[in-house]
Parts: sequence; C-alpha cells; structure tokens
Amino acid sequence: MLKEREENTCLFSEEHVKLIKEQYEDWFDNNLREADRELSDKYFTQSGIPIKLIYTPADIEDVRYSEDIGFSGLPPYLRGVYPNMYRGRLFTLRQLAGLGAPEDCNERVRYLLDHGATGVNILFDLPTIRGYNSDDPEAEGNVGQCGAAVDSIWDIDAFFEGIDLGAVSSSVVTHLPSTSLVIPGMYFAVAEQRGTALTQLAGTCQNDFIMETCVGSGYEILPPAVSFRMQCDVVEWICKNVPRWNPISYNGYNLREAGTDAVTEVGIAIANAIATSEELIKRGMSFDEFGPRMSFFWDLHNDFFEEVAKCRASRKVWYKIAKERFGAQNTKSMLMRYHVQTAGQTLPATEPLNNIARSAIQGLAAVFGGCQSLHLDSFDEAYSAPTEEAALVSLRSQQIIQAETGVVNTVDPLAGSYYVEYLTDEMVKRIFNYVEKIEGLGGLLSAVEGGWLHREIANYNNEYQKKIESGEMKIVGVNFMEADQADVAPIKVFEYPETFSRQKAKLERLRKERNDQKLKESMDILREKCHTDENLYPYCLDAVKNLSTLGEIEEIFREEYGLWAFPLL
Amino acid sequence: MDRKIKVVIAKLGLDIHWRGVYLVAQYLKEAGMDVVYLGNKFPAEIVEAAIEEDADVVGLSSLCGNHLALGPMVVDMLKEKGLNNVKVFLGGVIPLDHAKRLEGIYGIHRVYLPETPMQTIVDEISESVRDAA
Repeated sequence: MLKEREENTCLFSEEHVKLIKEQYEDWFDNNLREADRELSDKYFTQSGIPIKLIYTPADIEDVRYSEDIGFSGLPPYLRGVYPNMYRGRLFTLRQLAGLGAPEDCNERVRYLLDHGATGVNILFDLPTIRGYNSDDPEAEGNVGQCGAAVDSIWDIDAFFEGIDLGAVSSSVVTHLPSTSLVIPGMYFAVAEQRGTALTQLAGTCQNDFIMETCVGSGYEILPPAVSFRMQCDVVEWICKNVPRWNPISYNGYNLREAGTDAVTEVGIAIANAIATSEELIKRGMSFDEFGPRMSFFWDLHNDFFEEVAKCRASRKVWYKIAKERFGAQNTKSMLMRYHVQTAGQTLPATEPLNNIARSAIQGLAAVFGGCQSLHLDSFDEAYSAPTEEAALVSLRSQQIIQAETGVVNTVDPLAGSYYVEYLTDEMVKRIFNYVEKIEGLGGLLSAVEGGWLHREIANYNNEYQKKIESGEMKIVGVNFMEADQADVAPIKVFEYPETFSRQKAKLERLRKERNDQKLKESMDILREKCHTDENLYPYCLDAVKNLSTLGEIEEIFREEYGLWAFPLL
Repeated sequence: MDRKIKVVIAKLGLDIHWRGVYLVAQYLKEAGMDVVYLGNKFPAEIVEAAIEEDADVVGLSSLCGNHLALGPMVVDMLKEKGLNNVKVFLGGVIPLDHAKRLEGIYGIHRVYLPETPMQTIVDEISESVRDAA
C-alpha cells in the first residue's frame, strides 16, 4: 500500500529528505564504531519490527500530516478520539475489585471509590466466569478465589449495595458471551428494581468468544459458532435497550497475556469486531446502531514505544475499517475507545515491589497512547488478586501520572517523534496485514474452529520462553541481576474461606423462596429458544428476574448446544 | 531401550490459564518424555488418566487458587488406587506458605512457583523418576 507522495502535506520536502538521507549515510559511515554498524540491524521491537539506531525524517518521508496524523478528535483519530483529550476528561481510574463474596467486594468497591476511583471494575471467580453455581461440584476450591462469586440477582444487589447505579460506570468483567447473556442482565434487573432506568446505566461487559474458545482453556466449552452467536445476541440486545452500555470489549488484553505480540493482539480484536459487525448487519442493524458502543481492551506490555504506537495505530485502523468498509456515518462509530490494563504477565513474584515501577511505566505508555480508562496491575500480581495495600498503590500510581507528571496537559505528546511516527505507520500496516491474513483463513470463526489461533499462541509462547531461558530477554531480578532468595518478600494473601458456606446458604434460601412454577416456565422457554434464531437476551433476563441462578442457565446452554473440544489436546 | 518417562499433565478444575501448563508440556516433550496433556480435569479424572496411561508423573497446574482444595485430592486418590510411586508435581500462582504445606503434609512432590526455569522442571522430573526406579 504505497502512498503517492504528496509534496504539500508530507512532513518534509523531497529535497530536504534527500539531503537528510545523504547526511545519514555520512553519519553512519564516519561516526559509528564498527561494532555499532554491525549491530545496526540486530535490534527488534517485541513484535519483530526492526529498530534502527537512529530515526530521521527520511524514515517517515511518506507520512502526510493532515491525512495520516491529523488532529485529535478528527479523522483518522490517530492522535486521540476527543479534541481536548485529558484536559476534557481524564482517563477513568478503574481498578479491579473482586474477591470473596459480593458483600466483601462491596467494601472494596466503596474503598476504591472513596479514594478517588472513578469507575468500578468487577472481577469474578472462576465458577462465575465459566458459568457454575458456587455449590456445583465443579466450583470446588474456586469459590471467591481470584474474584467474586455471583450466583443470582441477589449477589449483584449485594455487590452494589449503597452504590447509585445511575451514577457510576461499571465494568462487569463477564468474559464469556454465555455469561454476558446473564450477569449484566442481573445488573439491569437490579437497577430497574431500584428505580434506575436502563437508559441511565453506563458500563461495559466483556463478551468475547475468543475468551471462551482460545484465550482460556475450560472444563466445558461451548462451540465457537454458538459462542459467537451469543456474543452478537448480547451486542444486539444491549445496543437496543441499554444505550449507554458497551456490550462488548474486544479483548486483546487476555489474548496478549495468553501469548501473542502487539500486532496479533490488535489484529484479532479487530477481526472479531469485523465479524460481529457483519453478523449484526446481516441481522438488519446498521453499523451506526452498534458502532458507537463497541469498545476495545488492550494490554500495555514492556516495549514502551511499540505500545504507544500500537494504541495510536489501532485507532487509525478502526477508523478506516468503520468508514471505508462499513460506511459509518456517525462519527462516534469511527472512534476506537479502549480500556487498558498493564501487563500482569510481566510482573514476577521475585522482588515484587519492583512491579510498582513496571506497572507505572506501562501505565505511562497507556496515557501517551490515549486510553479512555486504565487499570494498573498491582505488585502482588504473581501471588493473588490484589490486596488492599497493593490496590491502593496502583490507584495512587495512576493519580501520580494524572496529577503530578504533567503528561495529561497536552494531546498525544509523542507525536512527531520520528521513531514513534515510523512505528505507528508500521503498526498500521502490520495490523491490516494480520486482519487480511485472518480473512484469508476464511474469517476468524474458521481460524478458531480449526485451532489455528491456538497454535499461533502456543508457538509464540514457546519462542518467548526460549528467549527468557537463554537470557536474550532480560527480567530484572529473575534472569538478570538475580535476587537472593532471601530478598523474596512474603506477600500476605487474602483469603475468604467462608465464601463457599455463605454462597451455599444464600443459594439454599433462594431455592426455597423463589416461585418454582414461574421459574420453570421461563427456563422452558429459554431452552426452546436455544434452537431458534431469536435473540436469547430477553429470555435470559426473564429467567434471572424469576431468580434463576447463573449455573442453571449455563447448564441449559451446555445441554442444548453440547461441548467443544479445545484443539490443543 | 529405556522406557520414556510418562507424564500426565492437567489444568486443575476450572482454571483457565493454559499458557504455563502447555509450555511445560512442550518442554517435557522436547526433553524426550511421553506427555499426555489432558486439558482441564478434576482429580478423579486425572487419576483415572494416570492409571490408564501408566504414568510415572502427574503434573498439575493452578493459577486461580484451587491448589489447596484439589491438589491434595489427586495425591490421596492416587494412593487409594495403590499408585504410590506416581509423583505429583504442581505449578502455578501459589502463595509461599501454601507451597510449603503442599510439599509437606499434602505430599505433593514438588511445587513450582512463577519464574521457575523450564530446565529445572525437566531435570527434577527426570531425577524423581530415576530415583524411584
């Protein structure tokens, strides 16, 4: 995709670039040591883009300011989605909360809100993530571990007790489409019971079929095509009924954590956004009906400049796809808005306090990249879900970036760096190529069903690990400047051993108090609707209001749709 | 010819983080072991597979906090079935005091915390099987 060089808008004149190239040659030959010259092409970004020793205008000679970079809040949105960026609205401080029973989480959420957090980010335990009740045999040992246990609408009510649902924005981290059909519905039903209209609710659910089928392995996995259909059901229903809610967050983050580079992370998320858009258009929606509510989720890893470039590039790629491929008319449909979490995978257990520095640097890259909301991983990442102390340090680190460093005072401050603009342009090309590659495989669903993406992840991890084992990739305190064992600080881990008994007792009470007849009716209808093309959301919502549990609904899905074998076995 | 070391390796219960376990499985294979990766399984299923495969070693992976509940169950069930020579290795995100308890009273042969070099795992598994022979 070579651009016509347009002299008027290119950053540097042809003549000037010619001169710089000559000066570069001269500089390279006469100023560098032999060793520098030999190594000049031996450095790479994490995703394999060669890094030069020095960048000059010659490296971005074809970049046109107005068309390729432009202004914040204007196409191609490379510099940011809003004109005033952080002067207008700072990125949301959205620290994760979730451990134990919903009642414990309520305390943590209020603690974070009291300390200046501006959004809620709720995280579930694995039985909830994978759709089992706390008292199911499969849940044993996992109830309230690494996240909150949620079984029914009562738990969402307890989680948000004393919190005005019309006033907060809540990220409800339901990974799977099947649980996104249920848990956000519990939130909506609680809001209605409290007299808050669905139109007032702001939030996000994750709802990503890649999470169900590739990123996480599972004990019981729904087939990709079913999971994808549910993903689209969630987007369709929520767009029509809860207009301020983001019904999907294309999860590059966990894919990256599972094992991919920056290009794949964004490429897969965008391929999924394309697949979803095509399906929803097939269902009769226009792109502008759902485009404004699509959100993305990136992992900010260690390679600082590449990560900044990734963020800038991804906005431009999405703009072009929305505009050129789907004919978006509404400006909001063209804006890639995203949440960032720093890379948990980069935070070792060894010398955990060093992780405060790692997360802060990754968080800074996120802000240079122009994120809309941010979670900084805590220093105890490799031990457990964050303790209160660690969560506060993460929140404070974000506040330091916002209030003390001054980086939020101007838009996209790294723009114009020869290196950053070169990398951004390169990332744009590579992301487009990756999306094309997926389409060449018959689309994302086929790539998943055949195990292609799983093999990509496995191969990447193998190479990554080899780089660590060989010392080519340095991890301070681990394989570089190794720590003494004595330096390993013990971390106090949160434990809520009583969560299981509390959830069990609540479930027993629920089963006694609910109207079995009404419940059965709604469950029978849901079961029947599984075999139609109808959107499943209203039927799940109805079941939830009749006090169905999450596990009961998910069991219907597992029974009606059958299970899928994870391809790497 | 020496029989290859047979390893049955699984993710414990519902844990979804397969990066580490699959990597370990690949490294053990590359080191010449016969590796069966089961994916996500619960203790009874893991023990059943260990019997069926005539395993020397059972490898477990947990990054989500179910190690204390499910790890010792695997050890106990193996003993109940009379498989006293099968060594159980467990890796993942495990608090230090839990790791000590697992290696102590719960009879897990070895617990691997994050950052353990793959070569260490390969070497220690080979050693444990050689010692048992």
